[in-house]
Amino acid sequence: MKFLAIIGTYVAAGVGSLAIGMAAKWYDRKVTAMVQYRKGPPWYQPVADVLKLFYKETLMPSTARGTGFLIAPAVGLAAAVLAAAMLWAALLNPGVSFVGDLIVVVYLLVIPPLMTILGASASGNPHASLGASREMKLILSYELPLFLALLVGVIHGGWKLGLGDMATAQQAAGTALYSLSGILAMIVAILAMQAKLGQVPFDQAEAECEIMSGVYVEYSGPPLALILMGRAVLMATLPLLLIVTLWGGLEPTGLGWLAFVGKFVLLLTLVTLIRNTNPRLRIDQTVKFFWWGLAPLGVLAVVLAAAGW
Amino acid sequence: MGLKNWALRKSLWVYHANTGACNNCDIEVLDLLTPRFDVERFGMLLVGSPRHADVLAVTGVCTRQAQPRLQECYRQMAKPCIVLAIGSCANGQGIFAPAYHMGTPVDETIRAVDPNAIIMYVPGCPPKPEAMIAAVAKAWELIKTL
Amino acid sequence: MTDAVTTTGTQVPLKGFVGEVLAGLSDAVTAVEQCDERRGMARIDPERVVEVAERMFALDGSRLATCTGLDVRDGIDVLYHWAIEPPGVVITLKALAAGPDLTLDSIANVLPAANWIEREMHDLLGANFRNHPDMRRLILDDSWPEGVHPLRKDFDQVRDRPPLPPVPPAPEQEGQV
Repeated sequence: MKFLAIIGTYVAAGVGSLAIGMAAKWYDRKVTAMVQYRKGPPWYQPVADVLKLFYKETLMPSTARGTGFLIAPAVGLAAAVLAAAMLWAALLNPGVSFVGDLIVVVYLLVIPPLMTILGASASGNPHASLGASREMKLILSYELPLFLALLVGVIHGGWKLGLGDMATAQQAAGTALYSLSGILAMIVAILAMQAKLGQVPFDQAEAECEIMSGVYVEYSGPPLALILMGRAVLMATLPLLLIVTLWGGLEPTGLGWLAFVGKFVLLLTLVTLIRNTNPRLRIDQTVKFFWWGLAPLGVLAVVLAAAGW
Repeated sequence: MGLKNWALRKSLWVYHANTGACNNCDIEVLDLLTPRFDVERFGMLLVGSPRHADVLAVTGVCTRQAQPRLQECYRQMAKPCIVLAIGSCANGQGIFAPAYHMGTPVDETIRAVDPNAIIMYVPGCPPKPEAMIAAVAKAWELIKTL
Repeated sequence: MTDAVTTTGTQVPLKGFVGEVLAGLSDAVTAVEQCDERRGMARIDPERVVEVAERMFALDGSRLATCTGLDVRDGIDVLYHWAIEPPGVVITLKALAAGPDLTLDSIANVLPAANWIEREMHDLLGANFRNHPDMRRLILDDSWPEGVHPLRKDFDQVRDRPPLPPVPPAPEQEGQV
């Protein structure tokens, strides 16, 4: 019975995150179009994209290693859905979270970029290996600032590592965001989220015009559809992580739900607007930005949070 | 199947291959993405890899150097796919047909690897963006019959 | 200013800035064909191409605009077009690479700008350049045979075309999964 409940939660989280992710992708494309004085695509566009890809044939290049090539998108999607399931469970029912599940979620959210690297390395294409090396450098850059930002949330939540405990502590004692260290942490977290989602200015791994879609150059058909779905789920999950750790989680009242949706949409809008107003950085500029710009900011935020600000 | 054709019609991804053009047709293809014509509202995107694409937009006469490479590009597209031959040069090499460095015209080049390829011709030098959108609209009608 | 003799035997007076330049090269110039206020054309000795190029390049404000090749009855005529900026003149110096060797000294070691120009002339006309640092194929495609030069007057652009490149071989096992 418990096993069925787990599977049911997983599937429900997957379907729900996919739906939210498709809506988030449409929102991103629509806001981009509005910023550029265009009409954007209709609301069903991301769904049509994924469906179309499922009906196309899968081509595997002769230089590719089949197993890694085909498994990578599926594992990436599965890990993202598991992280989404844990976050939604902690959000809706703070009692079920266990100590340390923040660490598990952060760990699970590293897996999709890691699977990108695996799939790209298994592609047997020099563009893909270039994209894979850039993705490796990106992971080495943004994981530390993201973790420091989440650490600020942990400190404000009373030094507890469980997501549910953090959410309830914030609802009791005051949201982490409404403090100096919280603001700094949120800035760091939003930029790290931008890099994790693979959005401009940090999308060097999948640089469309530059290296012909880099990491995904050899994918086609259903594996590409799984990749798109994985990215949609990530887009629905990362703002959730930020809200749970830094912005007070979800209060189960009607106004609380409204505030939650507002926070989610605001974070997505920020990601989209940053994406539309910035050029793509070079990979060495990105690494320098994260290590010499955001990581010290994150350390400052942690120190301020520990000092009580 | 209804769903397959609907999804393909609503989301055509374009890979642009220049086989020796003067770049006029390429500029007009890029015009399609600007706010005035905005083909993204039809779901059309310019993608960076032929494996992701449904439409191969070919501009230019097919020179000898470009001929085997265009054939490789077509092979790497995931079927079902449509070839759009844009401009007088791609339609039949125009005034450059007797030159020494011409390969076979674009449609013969592609039919050499796939005799059943779907090729749509967009005449003009360069074709107006409206003409290209008209070609896309006819492509939608064609997809309904696939 | 001395008068010089054209190839047809008529005298062309050397005057103005162009005349000064051509008079300065008078030991290498074999015939002057035109000497206007802003345009000059002269034929130089094919053995002294490099030396003339060095001397022209040493002039103040001079720049090699381009080089062109002509397929003439006796061989290949290589024309060097020099633009001299502040006075605004263009001086063309012609050197005949006589057949059947069609060989001239390469000026690419003096003027790196001429490197690709001479490669192109070699590909399309068959002119040979001694001591060229990097004579590889530049313009013609990979499947074009050696020794066929398409811009020669005796090459018919349709009938003499070499066979087209073959369809690339289908990979053994690329396909559906």
